[in-house]
Amino acid sequence: MNVLDIFSYAYSGIRLRKLRAALTTLGIVIGIAAIVALLSLSEGFRVAITSQFERGFALDVLTVTAGRGLGFGLGGVSSGTSEEYLTLNDARAIYGITGVKLSTAITSKSVSLSSGDLTFTITAAGINFTEYSQLYDTSFIAESGSIPLNPENDSIILGARIVDPWQNGTVFAEVGDYINVTWITGSITRPVVMNYVFHVVGVLKEIGGFSISGPSDTQVYIPISTAQTIFETDRVNQILVQLVNGDQTTIDSVTASVESLFDDKVSVLSPAAMLNTFSSILSTVQLFLTGLAGISLLVAGIGIMNIMIVSVMERTREIGILKSLGMKNKTVLVIFLCEAAVIGLLGAVIGIGFGYGLSSFVARFGLALMGGGGNGVLNGQRAGSVFNITPVLTPIVILGALVFGVATSVLFGLYPAWRASKLKPVEALRYE
Amino acid sequence: MTTIVQTVDLKKTYMLGKVPVYALRGVNLKVESGDFVAIVGPSGSGKSTLLNLIGALDKPSEGKVLIDGVDVSALNDDQLAELRRRVGFVFQFFNLIPRLTASENVELPLAIAGLNKRERREKTFELLKAVGLSERVDHNPTEMSGGEQQRVAIARALANDPRFLLLDEPTGNIDSKTADMLVGLLKGLNEEKGVTIIMITHDMNIAKHAKHVIRLLDGRNEETKTEGEGD
Repeated sequence: MNVLDIFSYAYSGIRLRKLRAALTTLGIVIGIAAIVALLSLSEGFRVAITSQFERGFALDVLTVTAGRGLGFGLGGVSSGTSEEYLTLNDARAIYGITGVKLSTAITSKSVSLSSGDLTFTITAAGINFTEYSQLYDTSFIAESGSIPLNPENDSIILGARIVDPWQNGTVFAEVGDYINVTWITGSITRPVVMNYVFHVVGVLKEIGGFSISGPSDTQVYIPISTAQTIFETDRVNQILVQLVNGDQTTIDSVTASVESLFDDKVSVLSPAAMLNTFSSILSTVQLFLTGLAGISLLVAGIGIMNIMIVSVMERTREIGILKSLGMKNKTVLVIFLCEAAVIGLLGAVIGIGFGYGLSSFVARFGLALMGGGGNGVLNGQRAGSVFNITPVLTPIVILGALVFGVATSVLFGLYPAWRASKLKPVEALRYE
Repeated sequence: MTTIVQTVDLKKTYMLGKVPVYALRGVNLKVESGDFVAIVGPSGSGKSTLLNLIGALDKPSEGKVLIDGVDVSALNDDQLAELRRRVGFVFQFFNLIPRLTASENVELPLAIAGLNKRERREKTFELLKAVGLSERVDHNPTEMSGGEQQRVAIARALANDPRFLLLDEPTGNIDSKTADMLVGLLKGLNEEKGVTIIMITHDMNIAKHAKHVIRLLDGRNEETKTEGEGD
């Protein structure tokens, strides 16, 4: 019997019990969809991070934060304790280390911006405009207005997304506008609201991705001198250190020098190290979640086995007929395996589509909720998705899902199919 | 004339729980090519067991079944399957596959034997025409009468040009008028196309159309006598 005939015969067996086949397939669909959704999301996440590194984050820039630990500097959050913190003088001290080309400090704070009736919360980064634009000469570029090298105290530069934060044409502020910045100081129990009016002098070009470090579409930039004055602090959250080159030896020697300079009370992160840390965390999470999804596939496999055993019993007489017509045991086995494979393939194909749809949905709505944080809440609305992730479905994931779906089905179909093939023709024909 | 089927002191014992059932206690028979043999006997005489053994669906406990001179006991599963392709089975309950149409049912043994689609189509149509069902090609067995279903089963049995047709109570589930028609069809096949036929029946009215009648009683064939209708 040729392959095509075996296949079409197997398919006629599936069509016989449509609902049952559909429900069995559903098990595979769920398992595969879960795996595909997780993999394509985390792959999208990885791509977003990597592209962020490639675009906005030069490889020869180290980030120094106070305290030990993961000083990721996401949105300028400091990991330092209140006792140990860095100041502008520290930035100058780092500048003296051999191999350092540039050293610049950032003081950031979560603030509310308002212009007209519109208000939202965002991170304001106090930077040295000259040094910062030298450091990020490919991403810290004005789309409109300019980046003044000697800014006025009230100069403010907006990230690209701040202009139209809802991405619906509602312009929040443009070059030349005055915006009111408010922030909260004092204790939690007795907060005091402060404010300062800034003049928009420039809007950055869109950077894309989301920010681990470096310029971001969803930040505003003010002179560091103003920041330290109005926020009443001499503390800086990060010191960015540009090296003379991106060689690993330079990175290592400067890292060691900086750490010894501050008695190991600082964290020095290189972009490569950040990427590695992020990747390894991501891989672990990916593995864990895929494992969970794998369990659902296992359950689906058991479902297939169960259904196929029932199906073989129901069709005992049919198997007897096939054997009386001269069908070999091997062919009977292949027919039933084929039925399992068709269910697996169908489930995998639907599952891939469904999984990708799910990940797109999560990327669009789910992550926006998660990413609300300090960056995106606008009068109860959300500033689009801060995490701009597009799920990525690689050919390997597609192929893997197909193979996995079919393999699971065939594996669990093996025993029932074997039972079918071993039926004795006389007994099978007598079966009622 | 060549001997197609021969049994030598054929015995078959089943275990019904712990009780042995001696279904066949020594059957000796010979069927020559072109013959039309009816095997008759009361229920429990071992007719079906004999048929299963002759059709290579089962293996004997003792003795031999020779089909075209080949001892069935010596064959493995694959060889038995191939042998069965040269035997045309017709069962009492038709045993058509309900989800397949008449033509698909007839096509099935041809597909199993590995013929290509075009050859299968042509042959299927011829066979269904020969049993008078060319109008019912695309009907499912559930849409057919018992007589029609049995004719589809005969067409299916003839598909691979078998060495002989093996019929198990072919008229047991259809009315007498249809049964007469069916016997007419079998006689036609035997006389005009030289198809060798072995038929089990307990209906003497059907058996009398055969060239030879073999009587089974308590697992033995009592006698072989020529009814003389055919020759």
